Amino acid sequence: MSNDTRNAFSLRNKTVLVTGASSGLGRQIAISCSQRGAQVIITGRDKSRLQETFKQLKGEGHLQILAEQTCAEERAALAQATPALHGVVHCAGKQMLSPIRLLSEALMTQMYAVNFLAPVMLTQQLFQNRKIAPGASIIFMLSTSAHIGTPAVGPYSAMKSALLGIIRCLAMEQGKHRIRVNGISPSAIPTPMWGEDQQSASLQAQRARHPLGLGTPEDVANAAIYLLSDASRWVTGTSLVMDGGAVL
Amino acid sequence: MNDIDPFSLLDKRLLITGASSGIGRQAAISCAAMGAQLVITGRNFERLQETANNLEGEGHVLITADLTQEKEISSLAEQAGQINGILHAAGISKLAPVRMIRKSHLEEMLSHNTCAPILLTKELLAKRKIAKNGSIVFISAIASHVGPLASSAYSASKAALLGATRSLALEVAKQGIRVNCLSPGYVRTPMLDGLVQDGLGTDGNYKLGPLGIGEPEDIAYAAIFFLSDASRWITRNYFIMDGGLTVPMDIYA
Repeated sequence: MSNDTRNAFSLRNKTVLVTGASSGLGRQIAISCSQRGAQVIITGRDKSRLQETFKQLKGEGHLQILAEQTCAEERAALAQATPALHGVVHCAGKQMLSPIRLLSEALMTQMYAVNFLAPVMLTQQLFQNRKIAPGASIIFMLSTSAHIGTPAVGPYSAMKSALLGIIRCLAMEQGKHRIRVNGISPSAIPTPMWGEDQQSASLQAQRARHPLGLGTPEDVANAAIYLLSDASRWVTGTSLVMDGGAVL
Repeated sequence: MNDIDPFSLLDKRLLITGASSGIGRQAAISCAAMGAQLVITGRNFERLQETANNLEGEGHVLITADLTQEKEISSLAEQAGQINGILHAAGISKLAPVRMIRKSHLEEMLSHNTCAPILLTKELLAKRKIAKNGSIVFISAIASHVGPLASSAYSASKAALLGATRSLALEVAKQGIRVNCLSPGYVRTPMLDGLVQDGLGTDGNYKLGPLGIGEPEDIAYAAIFFLSDASRWITRNYFIMDGGLTVPMDIYA
């Protein structure tokens, strides 16, 4: 069955760059995009884990580019090496906890470098190298912490909130090229970022406050597919909160 | 993995209100194209039949109903049968500055846009017509947060759906039922044409975002996402889709 509606949700003939693709959400998003017909360019900094993701991609013509995204030279090289893109999903990120009273400048600087500076300046490089095609969709992986306050999550939360500002302004700048810029804000998804122990106290506490239970990387990947596909061509400047109805 | 397309609506039976025109009509056509079996409802049988003529697939059901009448809501819920999801696309809009409005204007807006979808949902839940893991989708409007001129009653009637969505979602979460609300900006529909004739944007174009006016397909596609299993972890969401209209506005101020 081929029709306009089905085509709107397809990623065929689209090239999508996924950062942080060596694990967690980035890996699943890369895999799901390939299953939906996209050519996927994956990047990450761990060679063997990136290769592991690469092996799981469906179809042909995908590329893997090793890069340390916090390094300006490597971002520039990545932006040059990538082909023209119809989609970008910024998944690389790192969570570190610290109450503000105990916050060190080193930790805050690291949160800034990984979660904010890297995706923003990579986006800048991609535009500068004319790698973002008209009508493209750019997605920043946020977190519900971009919208809510949680003790000790300040440094991470602030950087995710900061990306909301970039999303809105970039959406206004690039609307004339029909380029769309959105965020996805998931709450707790058991991924390596949450530690290996699926039954840890922190994950159990998260389960308890989610009426629909915890989400899966596939859930987030499906949201990414909607926001990357032409089905969402009129959606820009927003962030899609996905949290199983979580209440505090 | 992914043998089953998470965006497919095969094996889903969906109720769509307001299916005789605009967003509801397009949502019906698009959902059927994704494989859904539909129960479509509207006030006018001929126009509903016209929508039905455009639906892919077999076994769709047409039920005429005036959703401002409790009896008709109840009988619709009774006739609808078991459903996996509902899209509340029926709605109306009329412009009136507050100094000119009467109670009847307020009641008309609230009755069509707020009470009808909530009461229909209530009837479906009370009659256990919504299957486990079902999806309920309301259609609000970004007027809820923008408050355009001469739209107090309309904006209020749409804003009310936000609170209803969030509260209802908590009530039905144990059955795995999800409740979300789409909040579109200006979409090319007969309703918008009517508003333009009544003076909307007479001083030039009504304000549009960087991506311009939306098409009914855009809302239909979002509805497919929210009705399908692809969004199975999303509930209590107020999804703004407006081509960027509100991006430069401080709508939460």
